Amino acid sequence: MLEAQGLVHTYEGRTVLAVERVALEPGSRLALVGPNGSGKSTLLRLLAFLEPPTRGALLLEGRPVRTAGERRAARRRVTLVEQRPYLFRGTVAANVAFPLRLRGTPAADVEPRARAALARFHLEQLAGRQARELSEGEIQRVAVARALAARPDVLLLDEAASAADRAAQHALFAAVAEEQALRPLAVCFASHLLEEAYRWSNALLALHQGTPVPVTPENLFRVELPGGSGMQRVAVGPVAIDVIADRGGPATLAIPPEEIVLSLEPLHSSARNCLAGRVVRLAEQDAAIRVTIDAGIELIALVTRRSLDELGLAVGSPVCASFKSVAVRVF
Amino acid sequence: MGPLNAEVLGITALSLKVAVVATVAACGIGVPFGFWLGSTRFQGRRGLLVVLNTALAFPTVVIGLVIYLLLSRHGPLGALGLLFTWPAIVVAEVLLAVPIATALSAAAVQAVDPRVRRTALTLGAGPLATAWAVAREARFALAAGVVVSFGRVLSEVGAAMIVGGNLRGQTRTLTTAVALATSQGDFSLAIALGLVLFGLALTVNILIQLLQGRTGA
Repeated sequence: MLEAQGLVHTYEGRTVLAVERVALEPGSRLALVGPNGSGKSTLLRLLAFLEPPTRGALLLEGRPVRTAGERRAARRRVTLVEQRPYLFRGTVAANVAFPLRLRGTPAADVEPRARAALARFHLEQLAGRQARELSEGEIQRVAVARALAARPDVLLLDEAASAADRAAQHALFAAVAEEQALRPLAVCFASHLLEEAYRWSNALLALHQGTPVPVTPENLFRVELPGGSGMQRVAVGPVAIDVIADRGGPATLAIPPEEIVLSLEPLHSSARNCLAGRVVRLAEQDAAIRVTIDAGIELIALVTRRSLDELGLAVGSPVCASFKSVAVRVF
Repeated sequence: MGPLNAEVLGITALSLKVAVVATVAACGIGVPFGFWLGSTRFQGRRGLLVVLNTALAFPTVVIGLVIYLLLSRHGPLGALGLLFTWPAIVVAEVLLAVPIATALSAAAVQAVDPRVRRTALTLGAGPLATAWAVAREARFALAAGVVVSFGRVLSEVGAAMIVGGNLRGQTRTLTTAVALATSQGDFSLAIALGLVLFGLALTVNILIQLLQGRTGA
């Protein structure tokens, strides 16, 4: 459906995005995750054909989209909802009707279709309200309803539920999923909430400083490497972590959740790092459990349900998190 | 109705005619130009804005002089026979009002949230529909530009005097009539004409305010 190849984007000579390939297939749901400034919004703007990439190709249905005219045509099929979406002056209904009128929808069909789009997000009661009277969360939901009213083939959401509470987030993603059940809509959403990303996506692309990272961006820490080669002891908040690195200065550490071993007692093992803490959260992720531990720093470990049961871990349980220094990725 | 009142009515009607025609023409040129200037980035844009802002402060009598020289019998446009006619005043007023309409439109468009353009584009709007969406969001600032242009044209005296000649019943506008009445010591007439001028400006502003209130500004 929509594919990006060899995408490189620079601002004022600085490379802010370098992604070899991203593909959005009909019916798929890709989550973009990463910290602020990791390039998620830039990638979405490029995928939305709002600006051409510095280098690389964007293909829609296998055909390259290069010229301004081709981008204009492509935007009729790919719609982006920004993190802070803009609603035009006027009523909510007029906003949702905007893309319908652009597409030459017969006047008699505009209002019913706009109302149906709002109804999908349980927003019918807002139809007559002025856009500027809405809360931030309502604006986000109306913006997603407006985007879907255009019946795009690809829907791009940039932190589209960031201002919503948990129930509203659920309603928003459920409505998008409902639309996908009806037609082969491709969805790509950026989120800094990993639980949200895992829950609503069937593929995940983690970005860090504009490039894909081979690990999910959990347990990411910005640190100052003391310098030297081989093993270095690095201060991460109140704790010290042994890592393998051959340079000094600012760096980012990533500890893959699947590399963390949980135990009730400190392990006598080859793992150089063993942090004691308490379980603060448990969440299901496919067949595994994501265990969030407060060990002075927040760590996420991935374990099986069986291991969790055998250890008898619950929220509040004391636990030790062990991982090898070679398992820590240094960027 | 006395002959004086009839003359004042005639002067008022001519002033309005000149002001409306000149404002429509100036905004017809200035608003699209300002829109383009406010929404496009190109080399030399800053220089163009400097020229535009200088034109805002250009003395009206100099514009009047330039138009006079152009339209005078031996001037390059003398064959048109426009000097000392109301269209000549319109030409001068258009030249004065175009920089205002352009500068205020550019400022209005520049002040529009950049998300408006992106939102219109991503929802499938082409260049014209996107420009329309931006103009809708900036409509009150654009309307203010039209009102200021109208005010400028209505209250201008120097250029109107030079190129119109202040001919009774032909090119005498409210402002040139006030200048003449004052020079002749007829202060009651000058004040009466001044009040008419003030009333016109007030009416236009009230109309704009009412319009903004109705459309939820």
